[in-house]
Amino acid sequence: MAEPLLKVRNLKTYFISKHSQVKAVDGVDFEVQPGKVLGIVGESGSGKSMTSLSLMRLVPGPQGRIVEGEVTFEGTDLLKLTERQMSDVRGNRMGMIFQEPMTALNPVLKVGEQIGEVLIRHRKLSKAEAKKQSIGLLRSVGFPRAEQIVDEYPHQLSGGMRQRAMIAMAMACQPKLLIADEPTTALDVTIQAQVLDLMKSLKNKNGTAIILITHDLGVIAEMADDVVVMYGGQVVESATADAVFDDPLHPYTKALMESIPVIDQDRDRLASIPGTVPSAANFPSGCRFAPRCTLAQESCHQKMPELRELKPGHYVRCDLV
Amino acid sequence: MTSYVIRRLLGLIPTLFIITVIVFSLMHLMPGNAFQALIGLNPHIKDAAKVIAQRTANAGLNLSWPQQYVNWIVNLLHGNLGTSFEFQEPVTTLIGIALPNTVTLALTAELIILIIGIPVGVFQANRVNKGFDISTSLVAVFLYSVPGFVFALFLIFLFSFTLNWLPSMGTVTAAVPWSGDLGDRIQHLILPATTLALPSVAYYTRLMRANTLQVFFQDYVRTARAKGLRSTRVLFRHVLRNAIIPITTQFGFDIGGLVGGAVILEQIFTWPGMGELTINANLNRDYPVILATTLIFAVMVLLGNLFADILLASMDPRVRYN
Repeated sequence: MAEPLLKVRNLKTYFISKHSQVKAVDGVDFEVQPGKVLGIVGESGSGKSMTSLSLMRLVPGPQGRIVEGEVTFEGTDLLKLTERQMSDVRGNRMGMIFQEPMTALNPVLKVGEQIGEVLIRHRKLSKAEAKKQSIGLLRSVGFPRAEQIVDEYPHQLSGGMRQRAMIAMAMACQPKLLIADEPTTALDVTIQAQVLDLMKSLKNKNGTAIILITHDLGVIAEMADDVVVMYGGQVVESATADAVFDDPLHPYTKALMESIPVIDQDRDRLASIPGTVPSAANFPSGCRFAPRCTLAQESCHQKMPELRELKPGHYVRCDLV
Repeated sequence: MTSYVIRRLLGLIPTLFIITVIVFSLMHLMPGNAFQALIGLNPHIKDAAKVIAQRTANAGLNLSWPQQYVNWIVNLLHGNLGTSFEFQEPVTTLIGIALPNTVTLALTAELIILIIGIPVGVFQANRVNKGFDISTSLVAVFLYSVPGFVFALFLIFLFSFTLNWLPSMGTVTAAVPWSGDLGDRIQHLILPATTLALPSVAYYTRLMRANTLQVFFQDYVRTARAKGLRSTRVLFRHVLRNAIIPITTQFGFDIGGLVGGAVILEQIFTWPGMGELTINANLNRDYPVILATTLIFAVMVLLGNLFADILLASMDPRVRYN
């Protein structure tokens, strides 16, 4: 296989205060291939958003800290760069879009300025050129009256339009990697489909790899080439999307698949996983899923299982399979 | 925008009308009148009672209150604020001397407030809970807790009495060749303006610090960082542009307040402004002057509020003009 675009090794992001240490991301490994879509799935609190912020080195300080690991992007370890070098990567070779398009745009700056400033920063364009390119970018994400939109403010746009504007902003410098943290969660279902289609077509046009973070398995099935399943700040299963959907191995992944409602099946109750995600402040010893796992045995509560390669390219963190 | 301002200006008229009624009533509820104060206690005037009665009649004070009010309003609409009982001069002349002095003092104080308050607040927020933040926050709480007249006395003691660096009285030095020069005027302005500004400097610093901190944790600031913008651009274009909005509103409200708030400080620094004029007029029941000064203070506050709204509308695109 070709050299991966992004290689994450043993990434650990902790929130450290005087009295506690919260292991939000606890030794995560994965790879993103050029031009492919990696889906990261998990419940709220599984550490997927913190993982994505760690890749951009935007973990909220001063408590949040990347304590260990390597994030190798196009051959350089991002964690070893200075803040200034890192800011040359952000928005340029790596773009990011966020969950809440309502709050992720600056309310007092025109949409055109917010897109254009990326180009001014990284492409050294003049203000006029940046505005011209912003219009083109807005048109490419599907705004018919882009000339007017550049001079409008975010509050004049709908949620779906704002997310498109966010995408235009993140794609302005044609990054090699786009990190999308729950890009469709806050949108209506029909708008969700439009935004996903847009991301797909931009990927095909520019060859941009995407890390798609979501808790929606339907979105993963639609978009992802590879899948990483996260639980309690760790990777519990990773493989190609086909392998994960056809042959899930980890009990957590299996339980997730079973809780997808199927429209033509007549079920009285929607299957769910009992219990809640453990708090990152006090994880159980042993396997972190064991307290909710129907298959758990005595040994599961004692020893943390390793991530093992059970089939070629299919990794699972469970000793029972 | 222009029609918005015009509509707002017209909207001030009912408020002003109510203010004039209240001021007029309160003033007449005060015991005594100007001529009793001026003449009644003077042993050198014979037939004091007769003189008082005549002067009272001349000034129209024995008409009914509604009649007096109507007369005053009619004169006001003709630009005539009446004649001071005490000084025997048109009120407009007295105010023409006093108002510029007070406005100069208030604007200088506002300048000091903004020039110190905003940068210090931003710098504190940028290095929150570090040495500079903690030490200046302590100073700010101290400045905000101590009343202005205490500072006035302290600063006069230190800079005028002990060090003899700055004058503590009036607007110009009398009987010297450089009297009334710009430098001379600025020297006289420093102490009163600083005293007037100090508590507000502290308040604005705290306000700016809190606003900036709040904006720092907004999603759009994270977006700005995720775009790779330099930290200076994130701070000045994305954070400050938002954090300054509540400050401008507060600033507008305070302009009117500072003009009125200088009354006591003007007494301490013998600053010949509206404060001195107001206090003297009230002590001597100089009705035309009381009415005029109170009206001007009210207009200042109303215009300040209007100014604040216009500033807000011009800085925050989410505010509509209707």
